[in-house]
Amino acid sequence: MAALEVRGLRKQFGGVVALNGIDLDIDTDRVVGIVGPNGSGKTTLFNVVTGVHPATGGTVFWQGQDITNIGAHRIARKRLVRTFQQAMSFPGLTVDENVRIAWEQGRRGGGRWASPGLILDFVGLAPLGKAIAGSLPFGSLRRLGLAVALGVSPELLLLDEPGAGLNDSEAQAFAAVIAQLPPQGIGVCLIDHDMDMMSELCDRLIVLDFGTKIAEGPPAEVLADPKVREVYLGPDKNAAVS
Amino acid sequence: MPMTDNSAGKIGAAPEGARARDRLALLTADNAAVPLPASVQAITAILLAALLIALPWLGLGYRFLSIAITTLYTAIGLYGLGLQFGQAGIMSVGHAALMGVGAYASAILSVQLDLGFWTSLPFAMALSAIVGGVIGLPTLRVGGQHYIIITFCFCALFVIVLTNGGTFTGSATGLDVGSVTPLPGINFDKLSNNYYLVLAALFLALAATHLIGISRYGRTLRAIRENEQLARSVGINVDLHKLGVLMVSGLFAGLAGVLQLYYLRHISPTLFGAFPSLYLALMVMLGGARYLYGPLIGAVIVNFLPEVLNLDPVDSRIAYGVCLLLVILLLPGGVGAGIKNIYCAIAGGSVTQGGGANGRA
Repeated sequence: MAALEVRGLRKQFGGVVALNGIDLDIDTDRVVGIVGPNGSGKTTLFNVVTGVHPATGGTVFWQGQDITNIGAHRIARKRLVRTFQQAMSFPGLTVDENVRIAWEQGRRGGGRWASPGLILDFVGLAPLGKAIAGSLPFGSLRRLGLAVALGVSPELLLLDEPGAGLNDSEAQAFAAVIAQLPPQGIGVCLIDHDMDMMSELCDRLIVLDFGTKIAEGPPAEVLADPKVREVYLGPDKNAAVS
Repeated sequence: MPMTDNSAGKIGAAPEGARARDRLALLTADNAAVPLPASVQAITAILLAALLIALPWLGLGYRFLSIAITTLYTAIGLYGLGLQFGQAGIMSVGHAALMGVGAYASAILSVQLDLGFWTSLPFAMALSAIVGGVIGLPTLRVGGQHYIIITFCFCALFVIVLTNGGTFTGSATGLDVGSVTPLPGINFDKLSNNYYLVLAALFLALAATHLIGISRYGRTLRAIRENEQLARSVGINVDLHKLGVLMVSGLFAGLAGVLQLYYLRHISPTLFGAFPSLYLALMVMLGGARYLYGPLIGAVIVNFLPEVLNLDPVDSRIAYGVCLLLVILLLPGGVGAGIKNIYCAIAGGSVTQGGGANGRA
C-alpha cells in the first residue's frame, strides 16, 4: 500500500472540471514528478490533497487514513506538507523565525530536526538567519519556502514548481537539495515544467491533461508515450495517418 | 547583512543623496522583527519601572496623578488590542465596548449581588473574554476592514443596549460603585494607592505581553498575521488561534474596564462608545502595536497631549488627527518604532547581531 493514495478525486469550480477522477499512488521513498500543460490540474491536485480547497468527490488516503477535507492544518500535522507555486514566507519576520515557526509545529509528536538551525544549514540559508524574509532575493526565498516546509518534519513533501523563477545554476543547486530528501526518509512529489530536470530528478513521472491522468511510469518511457507527445507537441500527423 | 528590508545592500556604494535617504529610511523603518540585545531590554524595563513607581513621589500634583491613572488603565486595555492587532493582525475599532463589558459586569455584580472589586474581577474578565471571542466569530469569514466595521457595529449596539437597560444597567445615567475593598493596611481611597493598584496591573499586562511575544504562542500569532495560508500549511489551527487571541485580548480589556470603574466609581454608556473606541485604535497606532512599550507610549501621548499643550477637547482632536497622519506617513511602525530606530542608529549595526530572539522592542 502506498503512503498517499488518491481515489477518484474530483474538483469542480462552478462548471469547470479541474480534476476529473484522478487515481494516484505515491510512495515516500522516491521522487515523483507531476507534469502536464497549463490548466491540466496539477496545482489543483496539490490544493485538494492538502486541504486548501475542498474536494468535490473522491477520497484521499494518507498512511491508510481518510484525510479528505479534514482541513489544511490537520493534514500538515500528519506530516503531509506542501509548498506553494508563488514563493511564500512570513515576509515581515526574520528567516530564523520563519523556520522556527514551522519547526515548533513539526516538533509535536517528535520532529526529525533537533533545532531549526539544522534546517537552515541543510538548505544553505544559515548565513541569512537574521535577514527579514521579505527582503530576500528570489532564489533565497525559494530555499526559505523549502526550509519552512521541511521544518514541519514531512514524510511526504509536495513541491509546487520549486524551480519557477530560478536561473539555471540556482535550479540545479535546488534540484541537488531535493535529490537528498528521499534517502533521508522524506518522499518528494513535485510539479515542474523543466523536462530535463524532471527526467533527471524523478524516479517516476505522472502526466495530467484536462484533469485526468494520461500516463504514468519511468520518465523515459512516459516521455516516449504518443499520448504525452500529443499533449505537448500537438497531434502527430504521421500517427494520425497510421 | 541587511538590517531592514528597504535599506538592504544599498549602504556603502550609494552617492551622498541616496545615503541620506537610506539613513532616513533606517529611522522610519518598522523594525519590530529584529530583537534588541537582552541587556538593553532589561535596562529599559528597570528604568521604566523605577520611573513609574516613583511617579507619585515626584510632587506633580493631584491632577497629574489622575491623568496618569487614566493613562495606565487605558494602556492595559491597549495591550490586549496590541496583542490582537500587533501580533495577530486583527484590528478592532470597538475595543472600548469590550472594556465596557468588563466594567459593566463588575458594576452590575456590585449593585445586584454586592460583590466587591476582587471577587467581581475574575467574572468581569471572563465575560469580556467570552464576548471578545463571540464578536470574533466573523473573523473566520471576513478579515481586514470588513471585520473592523463589525467591531464598530458591536460598539454602537453595546451603547444602545446599555442606554435602554433600565435600572439593571442604569440607562444613560449609568451605575455607581463603592471603592476598592481595602487590603490589610492599604486603603485604595487614597489616590496614590489607587495608582499603585493600576500600576501593578499594568506590570502584569506588560509581563504577559512580553512573555507572549517571546513564546511559541507569539510566533504562532505572528505567522497568522504574516501569511494565513502558509500558517495553515505548517499545521497552525488559524481559526482557533484567531478566536483565542481575541479572548486573551478580552481578558486585558476586562481588567482595564474594572480598574476604570473603580477609579471613576461611576460609569455611563458614553465612556464605552464610538469615540473612546476610536481613541484606543488611535493610541495603539500612534504608539506602535508591535513594540512592547508601544501601547503605553500611545496612551501617554493621547492622554497627556491636551494637558501639555493646554488644548480644549476640539483642538485636541485636531492635534490627534495631525499626529496620526504624521505617524502614518513618517513612522508606519508607530512612535515605538521611531524610538527603537533612533537607538539602533546611535548604537550602530551591533543591534542586529545581539541578544534575545523575541522580535520586539
